[in-house]
Amino acid sequence: MFFAWTSREVAWRVCGRVALRAAPFVAFALAFALASCRAPGDSAADSTSARRAPRAGRGSAIELTDDAGRVVHLDAPARRVISLVSSATETLIALGAADRIVGRTRYDDAPEIAAVPSVGGGVDPSIETIVGLHPDLVIAWSADKRQAVRAKLTALGVHVFTVRTEDTSDVFRGIANLGRLTGRDSAALRLGGSIRGELDDVRRSVAGRPAPSVFFVVFNDPPMTAGPDTFIGQLIGLAGGRSLFDDTRQLWPNVSMEEIVRRQPDVVIVPVGEFKTNTVDYLRARTGWRDLRAVREGRVVTVPANLLNRPGANIGKAARVLRAAFYPEFTSAADSANVARPLSAPAERR
Amino acid sequence: MESTSAGAIALPARTRVHYGMPVSMRLLALAVILALALVAAIRLGAVSLSTTALLDAVTGRGDASTVAIVRQLRMPRALQAALVGAALAVSGATFQALLRNALAEPYILGVSSGAAFGAVATVVTGWSMRSVWALPAAAFAGAIGSMLLVFRIAFSVGRALDARVLLLAGVVVSSFLVALIWLVLTFADTESVRSAIFWMMGSHAGASWRSVSILATCLVPSLAVLFALARPLNLLAVGESTAAYLGTNVERTKLIAFAVATLLAAVSVAVSGTIGFVGLVVPHAMRLLWGSDNRALLPCAALAGGAFLVGADTLSRTLAGANELPIGVVTALIGVPCFVWLLRRPAAL
Repeated sequence: MFFAWTSREVAWRVCGRVALRAAPFVAFALAFALASCRAPGDSAADSTSARRAPRAGRGSAIELTDDAGRVVHLDAPARRVISLVSSATETLIALGAADRIVGRTRYDDAPEIAAVPSVGGGVDPSIETIVGLHPDLVIAWSADKRQAVRAKLTALGVHVFTVRTEDTSDVFRGIANLGRLTGRDSAALRLGGSIRGELDDVRRSVAGRPAPSVFFVVFNDPPMTAGPDTFIGQLIGLAGGRSLFDDTRQLWPNVSMEEIVRRQPDVVIVPVGEFKTNTVDYLRARTGWRDLRAVREGRVVTVPANLLNRPGANIGKAARVLRAAFYPEFTSAADSANVARPLSAPAERR
Repeated sequence: MESTSAGAIALPARTRVHYGMPVSMRLLALAVILALALVAAIRLGAVSLSTTALLDAVTGRGDASTVAIVRQLRMPRALQAALVGAALAVSGATFQALLRNALAEPYILGVSSGAAFGAVATVVTGWSMRSVWALPAAAFAGAIGSMLLVFRIAFSVGRALDARVLLLAGVVVSSFLVALIWLVLTFADTESVRSAIFWMMGSHAGASWRSVSILATCLVPSLAVLFALARPLNLLAVGESTAAYLGTNVERTKLIAFAVATLLAAVSVAVSGTIGFVGLVVPHAMRLLWGSDNRALLPCAALAGGAFLVGADTLSRTLAGANELPIGVVTALIGVPCFVWLLRRPAAL
């Protein structure tokens, strides 16, 4: 059922689309869905950048504007944090604040917090469980349009800081904000700096090379890809590729199979491990997909979905993996485990 | 009265109704079950509490978060589930009687699609981000709006309100609104799509004392009106001309009953989203047990619907720990086997 996917960053973008198709009474809407071009939405959170308010009178008090534009006030750095957003959870761990995490969602699989109790899903958590864990800070989705979780927790006196997780600027702002909220500003500064360095290295190393056109398969039926303004789209550009649909203004566009075939990507990137059907074998068996030159000629690259689909502290690693996917000569020993070309030797596989 | 009113909607013919238990005893038994369900709902949850901690929390003593869990989360949620269950069951029973159709349910006049359209509109425009009440208010407005539209269409056909025309108007308006919803969602951003779908799945997670008091304010007078209309509803179930001969103001009764039953469904769907199954099956279960006399059926359905939904909601938030199951999953998975058992039960127990 699709609700089981909610709160897996990219996965949960897809679930709405799938439910849209699955709902029995929308078969007639399918034609629209496949050719859909969503209006440029998400304007609510788009331009919101967290402005750091000056420190309050007491030295340790924190006042910070979250990604939905609400000011969150903490008397002291948070000691008991529950994160409903998987990428924020990973950022907290990268900041060395794993010991502050007292609750996680059922999708968080980091070993550092394996023993931490789950509060359920990211948009439909058990509020009772959250309250019972006595958090002094809950990290939630800024884009949740229902507001029920935030309103309920706020009414019960729990501080809620909401985050946006669409592009790389969200990642850096998230690192800074989470560092500040947990009193780890200097760690956040270091982490942000080292990720910037990693991204710069990748960008420099591919300078001047011809850019292959890339189709990133967020979901394969109906085809959904990452728009140029998402962190995935930005990382593709940074790693030397060019998004096949870099002309779209949508974040996560559904695109028609016909248009993919017409544009003929040089490389198809398939994140594996999240959706059972997002596999290379599936693409090889489907009309449309199997007619792509990239599929026929073995230019299909699989990457781990958990690495590519979570906009957190490991986007530097994700950028290197993408670079290795575009330019095989960059495949280092460390990245080779994350980049596979299952179709590159079709003769042997037959 | 029982023998005559059973005709059109009672299921199935071979199941004889049992009149052995007096109405007062049935009501008492159901009230006890509802009370037990409420106690269980407050006792059980994702956080396990000792009985003493629970009793302390009920009286407002002890650990602040335990008090919050019991008094701000579990109690309003249990009461909301009870009120919504009662509203949907009574609404469904009324529609089944009015339309003389066993498949009638509270959403038949487009209430759920109207509410969903209102909800989707606030989600897509972002109004739902501004106030926590924007969504329920828009859902309620959408439900009432679609009801008025359905009535307008039905009244414009023929001189008197024809139940069949009303039913058809409800179905087509509903289809139209559903088409609009998916059209809007097709062009909406994915966050809106997901939020809308979660809303449509229905949940009591948003319950608060405010929602409970709003619900109770609408529910109590509505139930009183429908209970008062039980006898005319019995006559209507036999046939409109018979009812008219026997002194019922048929048009007025139908109009009031339709409007109040729709109002019940609209308020319910506004606070908790679309929760299916309760309004369809609880009235039938009560009829199978004790017959179709609406004077007994309506109060029984109210208590049974309340108890059923409280139980289902408690299961939905305890079966999988902190992972809340959608309430519609629980109502159907528990309710369908129970209902099939009732249907197949030997006629003479």
